[in-house]
Amino acid sequence: MASDRAKRRAWTLGVSATLVATLLYLTVGVESGVRSAINLVVSPFSWTVNEIARPVGHLFAGAINYSDVVAQNQRLRYELGKAQTALNQTWAMQRQLQQMTTQLHVPFVGSLPVVAAQVTTLAPTSFAATVDISVGRENGVLAGMPVVANGGLVGTVISTTPHGATVRLITDANSTIGVTYANSSTSIVLSGHGLNNAMGASSVALTSAIRPGTVLFTDGLRGGLYPLGLPVARVTHVNLTPGATTYDVGVAPTANLADLFYVDVVLWEPST
Amino acid sequence: MSRALVPALVATLFIVGVQLVVLTNLRVAGVVVMAVWLWPLAVGLSGSTALGLIVAGVGGLCVDAHAITPFGLTAVVGGAVAWVAARLGREGVGDLDSAAWWVTPILGAIFGLLAPALYVVLGAVVLNFSLWRGSVLDAMWVNALAFAVFARPLARLGRVVTRLSPAMRR
Repeated sequence: MASDRAKRRAWTLGVSATLVATLLYLTVGVESGVRSAINLVVSPFSWTVNEIARPVGHLFAGAINYSDVVAQNQRLRYELGKAQTALNQTWAMQRQLQQMTTQLHVPFVGSLPVVAAQVTTLAPTSFAATVDISVGRENGVLAGMPVVANGGLVGTVISTTPHGATVRLITDANSTIGVTYANSSTSIVLSGHGLNNAMGASSVALTSAIRPGTVLFTDGLRGGLYPLGLPVARVTHVNLTPGATTYDVGVAPTANLADLFYVDVVLWEPST
Repeated sequence: MSRALVPALVATLFIVGVQLVVLTNLRVAGVVVMAVWLWPLAVGLSGSTALGLIVAGVGGLCVDAHAITPFGLTAVVGGAVAWVAARLGREGVGDLDSAAWWVTPILGAIFGLLAPALYVVLGAVVLNFSLWRGSVLDAMWVNALAFAVFARPLARLGRVVTRLSPAMRR
């Protein structure tokens, strides 16, 4: 009797599991389905922990960092004023540049639509540099779109859900970006070296007029992954090993990746 | 074990919540402390291999679902941690009552040091060579330190949650 019941239970479980697996496969794919199901289970617990941890964190942060927050607020107001001034000054130049680049049939990021998004989660491990954002397919966000914030390129959308997306940061070890710099036709490939390590480029030709402080922009090459002119990084040091025929270049992202709260997704698809 | 399964799973999901909400933002030297590996260690030291493997699998998969790293890798490393810890737990090593107070922290430090390295090695096995380009050494020492500090409290929590006494170990 007990063995019949156990067999029936095993059959029911097996058939149910097969049906669920088939349904997941037909709708969203197995791995994506498993991820969605797990997110569904974990989200109430994450929400509960967040509701408990946030006030405690705010209490400590408020008690310890109050004067820092006030100082930071004053500094931000000052920088906002400076940025507003600079924006007004460069408006005419931007318009002229836009007209010129349109004539040259190259994409200009200033004319591309963007979607603002909130950063919801950082990577849960130290082995990948990613963030999750609050906009997804429903907002027109697709895999491959560039993401900008805080003064430059932040990363690329690598996966989307209807209401969210995952962005691989430019510092991730799997990130490579084609860049160039002002008055130069030289293209350089930057690569990320992990979350805590500086980005870099090797095999930069000695003829390149590159020096510390040079700002590197996406090169927007045809078929490239990014539109032209997104600021990516600033050169921090240029190393020339004795006897070498190329430079090794160290760079730091122009965007402040340590304080990502809001980002803009550029609605631009590669090869468009 | 079945009596301890439900509270252990609920505790595991809360640990995952802490991992995703608190520890992800509370980085030490840019490194995330992997509570989802420390928890299987704590449960494993109580002597239950099956329970340790289950919490490692559930916790690891939950974190893997939020990461772009190879799916299941965190769970596999957690499983290895739980298995070895359970072998030690059955021998009474790291037992909170009989062993010296410093044994559990030392074990925590060793596991915290080795787990990120194992993660990177297994990543290479599944042909993901980008993991070692991150801050593996930082991840190792930060996790070793954190595991040393929290291994004993979490082992105590594990014993309370799973309600496993030495007599019930299987």
